[in-house]
Amino acid sequence: MRLFTHFSLLALLVITGHAAAAPMGFKNSWMIMGDFSKTYQEFAMNYATTTNDAFGVSVSAMQTDNSVSRQQNVEAVYTRKVARWNLPEAQANIWFIGGLGSTTGNAFTGSKAMASPGIQVDYETTRFYSMASARIYAAQGATSNITTARLGASFYEADYDEPQPWLVIEARRMTFVSKQYEFTPMLRVIHKRYFVEAGANLSGQLRFNFMYNY
Amino acid sequence: MKSIYSLMAVVLMSVSQISYASMKVTVNGMVCAFCAQGIEKGILKMSETKAVFVDLKNKVVVIEPKDGKTLNEKDISQEIKDSGYDVVKIETISQTVAQFRAQQKEKK
Repeated sequence: MRLFTHFSLLALLVITGHAAAAPMGFKNSWMIMGDFSKTYQEFAMNYATTTNDAFGVSVSAMQTDNSVSRQQNVEAVYTRKVARWNLPEAQANIWFIGGLGSTTGNAFTGSKAMASPGIQVDYETTRFYSMASARIYAAQGATSNITTARLGASFYEADYDEPQPWLVIEARRMTFVSKQYEFTPMLRVIHKRYFVEAGANLSGQLRFNFMYNY
Repeated sequence: MKSIYSLMAVVLMSVSQISYASMKVTVNGMVCAFCAQGIEKGILKMSETKAVFVDLKNKVVVIEPKDGKTLNEKDISQEIKDSGYDVVKIETISQTVAQFRAQQKEKK
């Protein structure tokens, strides 16, 4: 437990969301993404029109642990690779993710216009992964944000056509749900165009993420 | 007579090397299969490409041309850049993708 606390604190130091690795694929490719847990569910897809730009849609839903408050978002999302550093043994990126859409919820009537700008930074090697992101879901009288930090390590270095398993630990705070961070250890498996993560947070709530790029 | 056989052997070897001349590209930033698949997909779409091998451990991509075709260095370099990576070095090697792959396995 102490080791886990240290690991979590380290994750928080990186900064403090979104689900996974690169939020868009290569030029002229589609990316399909999903992030599912009790308190947050998102399904998104985008198409990369250039090496650096992708346009897509996202539907997401948030709810508190006791399921009393709920909010749903529908957005058109623009993703931009702001910067990439290709190093001999590593890669680092800065991403902008911005959504425009509407939100509905059981705390207000009708729907509200919503804007959701966010930023993600990541650094990874074939054995190590780190990521931090922050995104604001701004709507009149219904603004919340999600901040996330992740650290991961691969069990072994894999060849291109072999599945590669990782252990990833995520610290995530969704202000709509709670002021507290939730910590979720997950097993990640990457195999070419497939990316899957499964785990459970410290309260035992299950989590499943996936990405598919083609 | 012996010298004729030797000459024929040299000619045959040269011909086989020419037809198997592959391109070995050293790429920076290639750290995960999920991200690097754009390279494989893009290069395989090129009409002159027979096979592609992405070697994540050594950060190289090996491309083998179809028989009688020549690989275009500039197009391959651009394709890798479009996939989001940086080309560091391009070399010609006298191996097929299968031979290069087998050699890497032997090294393990």
